[in-house]
Amino acid sequence: MTKDDLLSVRDLTVEFGPDRAPLRVLHEISFDVARGRILGIVGESGSGKSMTAKAVMGMLPEGGRIAGGEIRLADRNLVGLDAPQLRRLRGRDLAMVFQDPQAALNPVKTIGWQIEEALTVHGMSARDARSRALDLLRQVGIPDPETRIDEYPHQFSGGMRQRVVIAIALANSAPLIIADEPTTALDVTIQAQVLRLLVELRERLGVTVVMITHDMGVVAELCDDVIVMYGGRVVERGAVGDIFAAPQHPYTRALLRSMPQVAGDRLARLPAIPGATPDLAHLPPGCAFHPRCGLAEEVCRRTVPALAPIPDRPQSEAACHVAQREGRLPPEPMREVEANAARARRPSPAPILELQDLRVDFGSRRRLLRREPPFYAVDGVSLQLFPGETIGLVGESGCGKTTVSRAIVGVNPLSDGRIRVDGQDVTAFDAAATRHVRQTVQYVFQDPYASLNPRLTIRQILSEALEQRGLPAGEREAECVRLMEMVGLDRGYLDRYPRAFSGGQRQRIGIARALAVEPRVLICDEPVSALDVSIQAQVINILADLRDRLDLALLFIAHDLAVVRHLSDRVAVMYLGRIVEEGPAEEVYARPRHPYTAALMSSTPRPEPDPGAMARKSVLRGDPPDPRNPPSGCRFRTRCPIGPLVHPERRICIESDPALRGEGRHRAACHFSDEVTRPAEESTT
Amino acid sequence: MSANDTHPPHPAGRKLRVGAGMARYLGAFRSPRGMIGGGLLLVMMFAALLAPVLFPGGVDLQTRDNFQPPTFAHPFGTDEYGRDIFVRCIYALRVSLSLVLVAVPFAMALGILMGLSGAVSRRLGEICQRIFDIILGFPSLVLGICIVVAIGAGWLALAITILVFSLPQFGRLARGALLTEQNREYVLAARVLGVPKRRIMTRHILPNTLDPLLVQASLSMIAGIFAEAALSIVGLGIQPPTPSLGTLLNVGIRYVYAQPMYTAGPIIMLLLLALAFNLIADALNAAVLKAKRA
Repeated sequence: MTKDDLLSVRDLTVEFGPDRAPLRVLHEISFDVARGRILGIVGESGSGKSMTAKAVMGMLPEGGRIAGGEIRLADRNLVGLDAPQLRRLRGRDLAMVFQDPQAALNPVKTIGWQIEEALTVHGMSARDARSRALDLLRQVGIPDPETRIDEYPHQFSGGMRQRVVIAIALANSAPLIIADEPTTALDVTIQAQVLRLLVELRERLGVTVVMITHDMGVVAELCDDVIVMYGGRVVERGAVGDIFAAPQHPYTRALLRSMPQVAGDRLARLPAIPGATPDLAHLPPGCAFHPRCGLAEEVCRRTVPALAPIPDRPQSEAACHVAQREGRLPPEPMREVEANAARARRPSPAPILELQDLRVDFGSRRRLLRREPPFYAVDGVSLQLFPGETIGLVGESGCGKTTVSRAIVGVNPLSDGRIRVDGQDVTAFDAAATRHVRQTVQYVFQDPYASLNPRLTIRQILSEALEQRGLPAGEREAECVRLMEMVGLDRGYLDRYPRAFSGGQRQRIGIARALAVEPRVLICDEPVSALDVSIQAQVINILADLRDRLDLALLFIAHDLAVVRHLSDRVAVMYLGRIVEEGPAEEVYARPRHPYTAALMSSTPRPEPDPGAMARKSVLRGDPPDPRNPPSGCRFRTRCPIGPLVHPERRICIESDPALRGEGRHRAACHFSDEVTRPAEESTT
Repeated sequence: MSANDTHPPHPAGRKLRVGAGMARYLGAFRSPRGMIGGGLLLVMMFAALLAPVLFPGGVDLQTRDNFQPPTFAHPFGTDEYGRDIFVRCIYALRVSLSLVLVAVPFAMALGILMGLSGAVSRRLGEICQRIFDIILGFPSLVLGICIVVAIGAGWLALAITILVFSLPQFGRLARGALLTEQNREYVLAARVLGVPKRRIMTRHILPNTLDPLLVQASLSMIAGIFAEAALSIVGLGIQPPTPSLGTLLNVGIRYVYAQPMYTAGPIIMLLLLALAFNLIADALNAAVLKAKRA
């Protein structure tokens, strides 16, 4: 530990379970954080990153214990402190920001009370605490703090709540803040606001931050140093620039490669990492990554590599036998990368799916004495999907994208508009239309854990779908096997129950089930957002392969612009129930014509370290308005960086609702679409 | 395909050959609680079933002396006519167990039907819920009296009483489960595939609502047994001379000083029955929670 280091963790080992047969979940974790730096701890689910944070806070879950190592904060060893000592330390010397701001605040107390509590428990008087709380709210950028201090958490939006949680963490000027996935539950534009706040606080107050995240983009934008965790161990450690420029552990490198990019070249196919993230209870022997590693040798299967400097790259440390021996990480042996099966794009004049002015309302239910006014979750959406084409439907939570997709399959009833499937009007959803939709359109759900009935085996699940296609019982067995092979699963798994499978495997089963009825349109509702990064690429590749092989039309719904860009031919961006921009994917990404699209793109963290990028970004202010009561005129005007907020003379945005228009197939709903800044220009100015 | 996945699924999926659902309920009887409760119930059921074989003299066989204290031959002593109280208690079990083992499953089936009826028509579901509210508004004793007045005292009246007042519990649990399950993605997936409504009900929703219903069934058994006793004590249930736990108590209380076992015997039986069903409910609940966590 050098003098500059605020936190120094050495050989931290955490175990669970009985003493005679302990389950070791963290293995000799070591890292240092210098004062005023931001350290990122990255890893996928089950890597042990959150457990590391909890161990440092002295808040291990029931049954867990620190079995070895030390945690030094300034000059104190935190290991072995008793509960009262730790309690005095928490909040004063180290503070925590949790993932879910909803759950981190007490719903029955005002936010002022909650900030003041953090101060008074460490000995401040009530009057001082109040003025300090106001001060803190101002620091984290809550507008009008004098009024808002007496409001309750439910009166704040998600992003504002996270600011309050950060204010509580800052309350006692704790020198160290541990943030556990603080932006994962937030939308990208809100995430950008919170990340920028963290950067500002670091500059202004000199706080030291340990940032736990699964998102390489967040690490690149925010952190100075990074440790990469896998299977309960640190596999690589170094400065952010070095790790992103030349990763020295095969896992880090594969992870960076398998992420779809929002900018740069669009790859035909993502280099996915095979296999699944290991379960901490059943770690493979030797290097935990060896079953998924292209460079694995005999020694990797036998002995666990130690974290050591890489000879040719003195600034990085990686736990890899091969890199340590060779002096640097050798290039990956070429895996046979099949080019995408040439996509036979037949010109097809007739759309397979056509939405016309679709409206779906909620809440117009009659109450006892009054009728609630309806609000439109989807308010006039028109879209055409052609055979073999992929449309990416993008937007933040609550914009209505899932509602649109569920209306297409008849789960959400329409209040207005028309739906045509393969030329046939199915708006009425009578028996014949429903049958037609079921045979043509299928759906892949977001949550792989909720979308399979836990009581049925995979064979039963697939057979049920095949039965709907009208396949005689005798032929179902062979077809089940074919479907399993299609999504890359072993036929031997057919008799198992969903709980035996990992998230990525379940998602494949969900895809197989949808394909069982031989649809021509597949609606994918955030199919990869619940999956680990290394698994996402596998599922995306499978979807792309199947689309090309079966000539499927895909309506791909996602909030992640990078994933959408990778798969889509065309993109439609939704905001508050409307499509605000639509066009060919390349054009929309290169030259967005709606300020919301531009803001989404600039908010999406990119896995390319670029100091100062944060300051240049255009970050949207405020939160999306309540869809029950949308703003007059342009719905985006309350947050628009080129609208009446900054140009008060632009009355037109308040008075008239812009229609989708533009040259050719690229259309945007903005009165000033010529002024939209391109992300490319933004980064050069 | 290069994404071919050879990663083996978790081995836990292998063992469950019986069907995941059945296995977890059977598993409940492997825990100590489940074993004791199940064993106790089994012994009592066999005793009740085989009573005519075990005690061929029947309930009215008289011995020389009345009010004999407990002996090895007569564990609970004898009553005012010199009849063996233990034998009468065992015969009484036939009444209690036959009542609840018939009435509660019927209540469960009817309750599930009524609870799930909301899926067929929203209005029908609402009507069923209001019916449950009305039933719950009556104290069970008053309800019992009404039914006895309507169809005459006896086994059937008791069975109907037990059925009616355990109905709302099942109906409400089933409706609650329906409301949570019908928006789960796997149910939506079945709808999008075009699986008929009835199939979705029986295959997707019903099995996933069964957990709380089975625990409730075990608890309703206890309530039913006590209801029989309560109604029979006041003369509205089983009519003498047929021995039931309630009628035995009715007479036994009059001779509580001459023969304490006349009261204590039926009470011991009641407690053993309650204990057995309670342990089973507990074990089922634990097994269900464990399966959910896995």
